[in-house]
Amino acid sequence: MRRKLTSIVNGAFPLGFIVLLLVTWEYWVRWKAVQEWILPGPALIARTLADNLPLILKHAQTTLMECLAGFALAIILSFVLAFAMDEVLLLRRALYPLLIASQTVPIISVAPLFIIWFGYGVMPKIIVVILVCFFPIALSLLGGLAAVDREYLELFRSMKATRLDIFRMVKLPLALPSFFSGLKIAASYSVMGAVIGEWLGAKEGLGMYMTIAQRSFQVDRVFAAILIVTALSAALFALVALIERLVIPWNRLTEWRDL
Amino acid sequence: MPKVVVEGIKKTLGGILTLQKINIEAEDRAVSGILGPSGCGKSTLFNIIAGLMRPDRGNVSIGGEVVTGNSGLTSYMRQKDLLLPNLNVLDNVSIPLVLKGMPKKKARLEAERHLGTFGLEGFGNYYPGQLSGGMRQRAALLRTYLFSSGIWLLDEPFASLDAITKRKMHTWLLRVLDQFQPTVLFITHDVDEALYLCDKVYVLSECPTVVKLEVEIPFSRPHHSHTIVDPAYGPLRDAIMDALSI
Ligand SMILES: Nc1ncnc2c1ncn2[C@@H]1O[C@H](COP(=O)(O)OP(=O)(O)O)[C@@H](O)[C@H]1O
Ligand SMILES: [Mg+2]
Repeated sequence: MRRKLTSIVNGAFPLGFIVLLLVTWEYWVRWKAVQEWILPGPALIARTLADNLPLILKHAQTTLMECLAGFALAIILSFVLAFAMDEVLLLRRALYPLLIASQTVPIISVAPLFIIWFGYGVMPKIIVVILVCFFPIALSLLGGLAAVDREYLELFRSMKATRLDIFRMVKLPLALPSFFSGLKIAASYSVMGAVIGEWLGAKEGLGMYMTIAQRSFQVDRVFAAILIVTALSAALFALVALIERLVIPWNRLTEWRDL
Repeated sequence: MPKVVVEGIKKTLGGILTLQKINIEAEDRAVSGILGPSGCGKSTLFNIIAGLMRPDRGNVSIGGEVVTGNSGLTSYMRQKDLLLPNLNVLDNVSIPLVLKGMPKKKARLEAERHLGTFGLEGFGNYYPGQLSGGMRQRAALLRTYLFSSGIWLLDEPFASLDAITKRKMHTWLLRVLDQFQPTVLFITHDVDEALYLCDKVYVLSECPTVVKLEVEIPFSRPHHSHTIVDPAYGPLRDAIMDALSI
């Protein structure tokens, strides 16, 4: 009861801060009579968002599809690669440094290539999302698999478990908490990946909507799109966090014990 | 039935001669204790007996048959409970049965029959994260028992428990041993624990490790939980302590 009250009070602080910020912003814009095409006030942005909601949501749908497709493919790829690298030492030795090094290549610099190769459809966007999501997922999964206590493996070998048994019953479940922390990071990056892909040229999507609004100095529309992009990222993160709770409820039990 | 004989075991680990020459005989249905300084290779010896690791030289035989390097013949339990956090107690302890090919449902039923004996009655649906340290160790021991090899290798099973829980576990373990009559090899670094539980104690030296002392314990496994007052207790304890600290 008391804890609940405390958490409500704690939640009120950032909320209050945001309200304060919005009010200040609105008054500043009005007082200084800032041009709409430079910085619109929050009230105007809200009105624009409401007026254009159907159109924005239609673009958001495209972006969301690209995100989910890329995200799902990144998960599948990560599993295949992590399994192979965990089972075959040679593969791990060969690929691990490359995996780390690949992260020094800025995605935004290679994304135009995908446009050249795959055109203006959803394909290049999905590839960018895969590239953005793959690294945190694969690395967290690999880390989780590698961190499994050797003694578990010895115990299961002493019970005549096969390699597949050990992977399925021991390694995978014990790696899941780490995997999910990578998944949450990837979920919040995935929308950004899709939007970057769309910036470079697209037929549909929030990134494309933003580019068009920006070119015609409709900054209120840019802000409206930013709001939706943020909401999408947060929703995906929340979805993964929810799935995590459902898939590994036991992970929170260990936290209780440590309290 | 199974008498475990370890003969002339030598093992070099990472270029260091760890086990020089180990001879141990664990009598049928007896508890044979192994005491030794930490890092002397006690767990390594168990890994060799369990067939997880091959010795450079020497043999392990069970019931007169040489089984060096064969795994799956002994039940192994360690200081860490090594329960899977994602499975409840019942699913955890029935793992050895499932690995042997028993259908999950039947394995669960079989495991459930033993929950009472192992002090886990009513806790079958609990997750390891919800249990106390003592309960987790008992669950680990039930899993060891359900592998049903008749030979139990217990590697410091109670070392992580507090003194009071440990004492309770001792009296409880003696009852379980009376009931199932396994042949036990018991690693510990607690001399009083060894004197209380073991019929025979081997004291190992520092690396390169050899057996330094082998003593029979005449008064072990008492059917009470009082302090042992046998006049031989003091001298035996001193002899073991001396062997350990030289
Ligand atoms: N796989 C291994 N490779 C190299 N050295 C090891 C390995 N396992 C254990 N050791 C070393 O061998 C020694 C004996 O280990 P261990 O059998 O665990 O000792 P104990 O159980 O008696 O404390 C230790 O010094 C340990 O660091
Ligand atoms: Mg050890």
